Amino acid sequence: MVQKQKLTRRELLKSSAVTAGALVMGGAAVPLAEARGSETIRVGVVGCGGRGSGAAHDCVKSSPGVRIVALADAFEDRLRGLKNEFKVRDRRCFVGLDAYKKLMALDDVNLVILGTPPGFRPVQLAEAIRRGKNVFMEKPVAVCPAGIKMVIEASNKATEKGLAIVAGTQRRHEPKYVETMKRIHDGAIGEIVSAQCYWNQGGLWVKKRRPNQGDVEWQIRNWLYFAWLSGDHIVEQHVHNIDVINWAFNALPDQVHGLGGRQDRTGPEYGDIFDHFGIEFFYPGDVRTISTCRQIAGTTNRIGERVVGTKGVSDCCGSIKGENPWRYEGPNPNPYVVEHADLIKSIRSGNPLNEGQRIAESTLCAIMGRESAYSRQQFKRSWFINRCTLNLLPPDGLKLSDSKPVDPFAVPGKYQLPGLVQGKRRRG
Amino acid sequence: MPVEEMRLLVPADNSKDNKGFCKMEILNMTASKKDKGISKKKVATAAGAVALAGAVASKVHAQGSGKIKVGLLGCGGRGNAALRQCLQADPGVEVIALADLFESRVKRSRDRLLRDNKFKGRVKIDDDHLFWGFDCHEKLARCEADLLCMATAPAFRGRQMMAAVKAGKNIFTEKPVATDVAGCREVMEASKIAEQKGLAIVCGTQRRHEFSRIELMKRIHDGAIGELVGGQCYWYGPGIWYRGYQEGLSELEWQCLNWYHFNWISGDQICEQHIHNIDIMNWCFNGPPKNFMAVGGRAWRSYNDGQVRQAKEVCRKYNNGSDADWEKYNGDIWDHIFAEFEYPNGARCLSFSGHSPGTGRGGEKIVGTKGTSNCSSSISGENPWKYEGEHVRGMEQEHIDLIKSIRSGNPLNEGQRIAESTLTAIGARIAAYTGRSFSWNWLLNSCKQDIVPKQKYLRPGRGVFHPTATGRDKLV
Repeated sequence: MVQKQKLTRRELLKSSAVTAGALVMGGAAVPLAEARGSETIRVGVVGCGGRGSGAAHDCVKSSPGVRIVALADAFEDRLRGLKNEFKVRDRRCFVGLDAYKKLMALDDVNLVILGTPPGFRPVQLAEAIRRGKNVFMEKPVAVCPAGIKMVIEASNKATEKGLAIVAGTQRRHEPKYVETMKRIHDGAIGEIVSAQCYWNQGGLWVKKRRPNQGDVEWQIRNWLYFAWLSGDHIVEQHVHNIDVINWAFNALPDQVHGLGGRQDRTGPEYGDIFDHFGIEFFYPGDVRTISTCRQIAGTTNRIGERVVGTKGVSDCCGSIKGENPWRYEGPNPNPYVVEHADLIKSIRSGNPLNEGQRIAESTLCAIMGRESAYSRQQFKRSWFINRCTLNLLPPDGLKLSDSKPVDPFAVPGKYQLPGLVQGKRRRG
Repeated sequence: MPVEEMRLLVPADNSKDNKGFCKMEILNMTASKKDKGISKKKVATAAGAVALAGAVASKVHAQGSGKIKVGLLGCGGRGNAALRQCLQADPGVEVIALADLFESRVKRSRDRLLRDNKFKGRVKIDDDHLFWGFDCHEKLARCEADLLCMATAPAFRGRQMMAAVKAGKNIFTEKPVATDVAGCREVMEASKIAEQKGLAIVCGTQRRHEFSRIELMKRIHDGAIGELVGGQCYWYGPGIWYRGYQEGLSELEWQCLNWYHFNWISGDQICEQHIHNIDIMNWCFNGPPKNFMAVGGRAWRSYNDGQVRQAKEVCRKYNNGSDADWEKYNGDIWDHIFAEFEYPNGARCLSFSGHSPGTGRGGEKIVGTKGTSNCSSSISGENPWKYEGEHVRGMEQEHIDLIKSIRSGNPLNEGQRIAESTLTAIGARIAAYTGRSFSWNWLLNSCKQDIVPKQKYLRPGRGVFHPTATGRDKLV
């Protein structure tokens, strides 16, 4: 995912037309929220790894008057690239697990990019909103129901304070998706009766543990493979596709039943996550959908979405077949840039976008899929958000040197979903 | 279907030998109690059943005496039950031969049959009609039976059916009919020979013989729910028996006794059990899917403490006290497969199968542009419908239909169809084991999978063990 996005971004860098749409708002300095009084969007980047750096570049590219003015990361070596590139001064670079707090204490920063591992997102988002920052945050935005609730609360506060939140589910900012969804919602394929979404791919980078590396440091550097940090790959990656299906339905699934396991990636360097999931989501009206994701080298790739209605079928991104055939033929600007352009435009126009609730909900669905697969139990969304006591939030004051043994991976039949009484029917 | 309803289909505890097949439980959902004692009267009035008329084909050995001589191949729980259902189906049925891998099972089955008053005078099994050993099917095929009921582990079905049709026998076979692609092709071949010889083949996918489903499928095929655009089928249950060490058996014999746990003998759970539901999907679409995609794995069987303990014991017994290699005795089948079938019209359907403690889900659902159906008795949507006719037990009706078809000279032949459904299940399994997607055409015509040892290698001795699939196995 990370690699793929990078590639796409690089390709798009070459295209000068990319930001055409975004530039329109250029000079319009609208005094609003924390950007008020300054035409310049002063960005602090929290999490300067692959995704955070990518987002920083896209943000700068998306609109005029954007400057990267502060950086924070758990590790000095991860921060160096952006620091050199954007000439950020030493005293505005912060290192450590509490670096985000120091960055967010800077008054001149009016937009923060949250690109740290998803397990940290709820805490960092809450702090950003408390400090009155607009936010661009990567997906997913939490790894457990407790985190989801924090994100929703922070999102509500952002609305009260007139702050913008945009999430890195870039498909929501991609014209071919947006145009297709408009038509689906207008009934072009009739009533939705079936849907599928997939993120089946090969392997991804992995960082083996180095000598003298503490538990927490190694796990954060190798964060993909620990559920408390990444949420597992269904949450970390596949949330994109699940979000699209939610979008198509304009609704969330009522229930979930999933399968999954750790079949190929069994070494300790792969932490506690699974390498495949197969999830059935039940949308309102008992419409059942397929969701699969897999990260196993040498297997067949399939990434995408498909929605089936009583009058036709759509791939959700530019094609409708059936009674009302249609093809998207408009421009295809880089969605990773457009999402930033849209964010900054909304800040400057005084109508801040707030995608917090929506991305929290899609993240929740992915977490439900994961927990259903871990436990092999079918349950309702209402039960999960209201009654499940699963809490993977990092403890306050966590240090890189802390001891944190790797959690055992979930063995169905043995894994206990917190709050779930085995054998009892789960009601909302 | 609401969750509550789905949960009714929780498969029963399978710990008991003779109840190895959960399908009894599912069946109970669709047949009411009063249907238990199925009678000939019912047969005669059965809608859609073949007319009994005088048409008795001359080439059918059975018609002269009015007796149909039956031999049973596979004297386990399912075989004995199938034989009884066959005897009940028609008073002219007599059982004349029994065959099984194990001598003890053959003899036990005869004893029990002889004690059963219900079949008095219809159990005529001479001592020289008791066959056991790995080649028992060949001996059985040489006896004078008209009909063979086959209920051994599925790995050997192809060669068993081939021997039977070559010897001119009609066949009742349990599902599935193979565990690999080569086996499916063999069954297709046997089915063609049966066709040419006018022999019947009926398969234990009993849902195909339930009147309610037959009436429902007619409507679905007539467009009652519009074009089919989606569907789901499930068989997800709590687990399966494991048979520990037994004195006096060679390793291979023990393995065959404990067949469910070895992919080459059972075909894995998706093939062995879930085929029922997959067959219903294929029935809806009138044929197999065109493309396969699946994920899956073995997540808890390796951590099932009681089973692990037994596997270690078995290992020690066969390995001079060492349990170093115990994992292979714990079996190689997976415990979950999540597959997507894409049918020729583009519809993508879910197949959800596996075992895990404390779970249960079964049944099917089909989705069309004008409605949906539970694939068992009702349709909702633009053309709502509910079956209100007579309910029969498919596991009894399938034998009634078979024998009627033999007597009438219009033998049913389900061989090709069950081979296709078995291949559908195997295709999903291969897609999951390899992580690769492929087409039906490739699977049927180009896949070289052949995992069952040739007959000449099957003799009491060392077992045949394959490593558990990785999820990225090589596609052959």
